[in-house]
Amino acid sequence: MFNRTILATLAGVIMLAVAPLAQAVEIKHDLGTTEVPDEPKRIVVLEYSFVDSLAAVGVAPVGIADDDTRESIVPAYTAVIGDDWKSVGTRKSPSLEVIASLQPDLIIADTSRHEAIYGALSEIAPTIAFDSLTGTYQVALEAAKTIAHAVGKDAEMEARLAEHTTKMEGFKAAIGDVSAWSAQFIVDNGEGIFLHSPVSYNGSLLSWFGFKNNMTTPDGHTYEEAIVKTSLEQLSEINPQVIIRGKYADPGLTDSWVGQPLYDNVEAVKTGNLFDVNAHEWSRLRGVIASEVSGANLVEIVKNLKK
Amino acid sequence: MPVAIRFALLAAAVLIAALLSLTIGQRSDVGIGNVLQLLFVDDGSLARSAVVDLRLPRTLIAGLIGINLGLAGLALQAVTRNPLASESVLGINQGAALGVALALVFPALMIGNLDTMAIIGAVLAGAVTFGIAGGLGGRLDSMRLILAGVTVGAFSFAFVRFTFTLEDNLSRLVLSWTSADISAARFDQALPLVFWAAGGLTVSTFMAHSFNILALGDGASQGLGVDPRRMRFIGAMLAAVLTGASVAAAGPVMFVGLVIPHLCRLWFGSNHRLLVPAVALGGAGLVLSADVVSKLVRFPYETPLGVICALIGAPYFLYATLRARHMA
Repeated sequence: MFNRTILATLAGVIMLAVAPLAQAVEIKHDLGTTEVPDEPKRIVVLEYSFVDSLAAVGVAPVGIADDDTRESIVPAYTAVIGDDWKSVGTRKSPSLEVIASLQPDLIIADTSRHEAIYGALSEIAPTIAFDSLTGTYQVALEAAKTIAHAVGKDAEMEARLAEHTTKMEGFKAAIGDVSAWSAQFIVDNGEGIFLHSPVSYNGSLLSWFGFKNNMTTPDGHTYEEAIVKTSLEQLSEINPQVIIRGKYADPGLTDSWVGQPLYDNVEAVKTGNLFDVNAHEWSRLRGVIASEVSGANLVEIVKNLKK
Repeated sequence: MPVAIRFALLAAAVLIAALLSLTIGQRSDVGIGNVLQLLFVDDGSLARSAVVDLRLPRTLIAGLIGINLGLAGLALQAVTRNPLASESVLGINQGAALGVALALVFPALMIGNLDTMAIIGAVLAGAVTFGIAGGLGGRLDSMRLILAGVTVGAFSFAFVRFTFTLEDNLSRLVLSWTSADISAARFDQALPLVFWAAGGLTVSTFMAHSFNILALGDGASQGLGVDPRRMRFIGAMLAAVLTGASVAAAGPVMFVGLVIPHLCRLWFGSNHRLLVPAVALGGAGLVLSADVVSKLVRFPYETPLGVICALIGAPYFLYATLRARHMA
């Protein structure tokens, strides 16, 4: 009897002692396993796709690596997260000082971009990392789920993903069978063109909708393999039937190629199946919300496809 | 071996490199068997367009910047009497890169076009380097010249590297340009280079005799009627303009100006009347070969030309440094 009381008391004391620890969530991510405090309130994100994931579950970050351009956080996001966040610099080299000054309790970083500063970020706050830059559509959705789990919004994300699936399946149905079409997303920055390969986010999104891709699938997942700088000659060999183009410069390099037989004879150009989309939305934004924007774009593109 | 045969061999090597540069590419319908026919006969095919519209401009650019950089290096080595002098060691290449990077990052600073900005950068960098080393007039101290060049080069490239941390798109622009990527070369970029290369060749030919005399030392050359100060000024300006024009067209290609004059001296001796045409041919041959290699390393994708030239040039630089006994 006496022993039991002692045991019970001891158990109670132990329970009380571990209670604060039990509140922390253990998150497995690309750069390790990290204890994240329960329902973190001050979150800093270092890639746009993490803004996407947070906005999907209605959580506002306090700091965003927005490349020093506030407009890069599009209205689709600010409608949810508001304007009450601070820029922490560029995604490539975010300011550790500004991040620290925000006293975050969670930092979400990109695996490849921020691996080198992961240690420094972890000293500021628990940091979790996902492959946004070179990850596929599926990787982005998985990351969104894990991020939702880290911020204690599992139920919200589950509901949002169900909605997402319905939307995306709707787009897919509207697009129909496009397995006979090879589609290629390209970025034109005025000096060069960059093809998003099958292992990139946009490449995987296009193949999710059923498009073919004429590029050879690279072995790895490095940035150079996902976003491939390409010459006109190489483009003429890849010869996609549909080109989805995001231009960061006007006129772009592709515009200067108009009139050159090699360009004019690219299948997509010859048949008038070259479509312009918003370069920022397509090439930089990834995730639940962003892919729905791309999906809606694709429905329009397929409507205008010249067969 | 008679000089004429040596020139013939060198010219043949340049022609072969040019032919390979035209033949090798991503399209499988161009081969060594039909490349000449495609080049000269317009059959309206896409293969013809690939050869004439895409590969010919870049082959021209590769060859012409080879000529320009080789001659720039030769002039610098002659007027400084320093075997390590060349546009990349003296910071001129990097200065030109700084000019272009500034223009790309701050469009408001743009004077004229990118060519002008590159030439301004090259001339300023050269002026600073020569200034630190003792000016055009006084005795040029070899060690100070090299150290000044390294300083100017490091400073210029520090800024160029700084732009890598800027916004993605801009940094990608500067990066692809600083690694001397000529895969999107166009005819209108090649044409000014023809003018610069022709000018460089003419001026160098006229200066060859003075270069020979300058090798005897400042005192002796003054006695023979060649003003070493004027020669140094003209030589350095020539090098800066040729480098600037090349950098504007292709980006900074390192080490060509160092390697080629050296190799040519080994083969043709130290008479600049022979060295000028030899260096022009050798420079063209080296960059054309580098262009061929740049297309093959990571086929079907391309490796920037500057990377290949640095891979060839850096070990040679080490070799030249180890061999140069009379540095300071």
